[in-house]
Amino acid sequence: MRSERLTRWLVTAPPLIFMLVFFVLPTLIVVAASFRYPGEYGGLAPLVPEGYTLETYRFFFSDVIYIEIFLKSLWVAALSTGLCILLAYPLALLITRLPKRWRDLMILLVVLPFASNFLIRIYAWMIILGPQNGFSLAVNTLLGFFGIEPVRLLFSPFAVIVGMVYVHLPFMVLPLYTNLERHDPAWLDAAQDLGANAWQRFWKVTWPLSLPGIYAGSALVFIPVLGMFAIPDILGGTGDILVGNLIKEQFLGTRDWPFGATLSLFLTLIVLAVAALAMRFSRKRLRHA
Amino acid sequence: MKKSCTTEYTECTEEKHFKKLRVLRVLRGEMLFAFLLAALSFSAAARDELHLYNWNNYISDATIARFEQQCKCRVVQDYYSDNEEMLAKLAAGATGYDLIVPGGDAVEALIRSKQLRPLDKSKLPNLKNINPIYLNQRFDPGNRYSVPYAYTVTLIGYNVEKIRALGLPTDTWAVIFEPKYLAKVKGRVTVLDSQRELMAAALKYLGYSANDTDAAHWQQAKRLILRAKPYWAAFNASSYIKELTIGNIWLVHGYSNDMFQAAQDAEHAHRPFSIGYSTPKEGAVLALDSMVLHKSGPRPDLALQFINFMLDGKNSSELTNLIGSGNPNLAALPFIDPKIAANRAVFPDAEGFKKLEMFRALDRQQRRVLSRIWTEIKVR
Repeated sequence: MRSERLTRWLVTAPPLIFMLVFFVLPTLIVVAASFRYPGEYGGLAPLVPEGYTLETYRFFFSDVIYIEIFLKSLWVAALSTGLCILLAYPLALLITRLPKRWRDLMILLVVLPFASNFLIRIYAWMIILGPQNGFSLAVNTLLGFFGIEPVRLLFSPFAVIVGMVYVHLPFMVLPLYTNLERHDPAWLDAAQDLGANAWQRFWKVTWPLSLPGIYAGSALVFIPVLGMFAIPDILGGTGDILVGNLIKEQFLGTRDWPFGATLSLFLTLIVLAVAALAMRFSRKRLRHA
Repeated sequence: MKKSCTTEYTECTEEKHFKKLRVLRVLRGEMLFAFLLAALSFSAAARDELHLYNWNNYISDATIARFEQQCKCRVVQDYYSDNEEMLAKLAAGATGYDLIVPGGDAVEALIRSKQLRPLDKSKLPNLKNINPIYLNQRFDPGNRYSVPYAYTVTLIGYNVEKIRALGLPTDTWAVIFEPKYLAKVKGRVTVLDSQRELMAAALKYLGYSANDTDAAHWQQAKRLILRAKPYWAAFNASSYIKELTIGNIWLVHGYSNDMFQAAQDAEHAHRPFSIGYSTPKEGAVLALDSMVLHKSGPRPDLALQFINFMLDGKNSSELTNLIGSGNPNLAALPFIDPKIAANRAVFPDAEGFKKLEMFRALDRQQRRVLSRIWTEIKVR
């Protein structure tokens, strides 16, 4: 009994220590920084004689604009996650129906983009969406048939969403695929024997069983999108600023570390809330199953 | 029932595994970085190396090679793409740089935070080559810490053929801010993604100083910017060079060095148009970059040698010929490509020079206020 407990401790200690050193401790530093005064030239003002202050939090709540940006980032993250589910689900389902040999190849293709640098892939979208290129011309010719004014694709909220979905799609496909792959075809046969049509078989059997995969994928997409700054920086237009850009701006352009710390603290809280929510949902499912 | 539980279980471990992989990847990057830093500080102490922390593409390879030959040492370069990035890196504790080339307000910040070594001018006989109008600036009275290196002017760049065809003026900030002009180039304009630069352009257009910190004037500038914003394609400080070169963007607010590059690229690619640039008559911002010695550098002797080397006319001219930067060195003028030297946007006459302003550092309260205005500009 005792040795079992010891083993459990030994096994859980490394990840626990890891979380403590690389998550809890840095977060506490961020908390402390958010109550300090900004240094005259970046960094933090000396603790003596300036001390701690609530000024930064007052500044945050003094204008709805910062809350607006948080809401907008949540919306962009939710939209990207939704689109990723829409695109990834049929793809993952299709892959699981392929013969084994093809399946591995398809999964390889899904992860292949990781072989090239993230920024290069985003820059590639700049070229694809640029007004002089085929895609843009095709879209605008099509719109022209319906008498709609040509639209600018690059430097727009549309481009930001495209970039977000493109970069994070594999993070949705992979957990969904690993989930769907484990579904026993016999369950669907059983459902069919009981008189379920194709739609019912999907909606009553496959979909509920795949929810854990969706939750996992959603967490893997939603959380990074929420903090992303590079994509809106590169593909966004004049109004596409998200929390990530705002935080980056505080540490670079404005050199206001306490405000940057305050913003990232709120971001961390939201991420934790989302993670907790996802966990709760999948637990509930587990009980029902 | 049991089966679905195991599915659940593998799902969970799968997810954790996945997360861990990502964490590991990030961590590996961090460790590599730490290792490199350690390696850097080790070798710096041991060998004859000059550690130069400079802007991207801000010195000619030929110049470096000649200096290495002369000093029998090696020049190790590290790069930044804006002052803020450099200051942030130093604030986060980066060390080992002998020589840095910051802009004026960054020099001021570095001096006030006591990060610089005073210069031993007896080692800098070539200092006499510098045009006195670039010496004794407010960010460093008496040049105790800094020696001018090169400068850029923030101005208007344009697609010559397009702008001429549309009949737009190119000698005023109005073309960037006035809807009556902007309506003709809607979606073909970018402005710099920089709080201070854009604010300065607006302030200049309104007839104020680029360093004006009056809250009412800032609000007025904000309204001007918000009125023009719907016509702009993006806030952009990097890819606008390329967009201008390939003809997607026709009018930009940007740096003279970048315009020089865009003009050159368009010419080399045989585009059916050319890129021009000019300083608005209301005045503009001049960013003077200076060489300074960082206290953390182990080899101030090599750094001083390098500064004196760069103050030589020929050596200094190579940078201007390479990237079209402004040159504060009088002895460099005979070596500079006559086409560049004749460009009034880069080498202004006495009258034009009076209208150029250098940035002063803002205090933390002003930075916070400006940052909020900037956020409003971006969101609204």
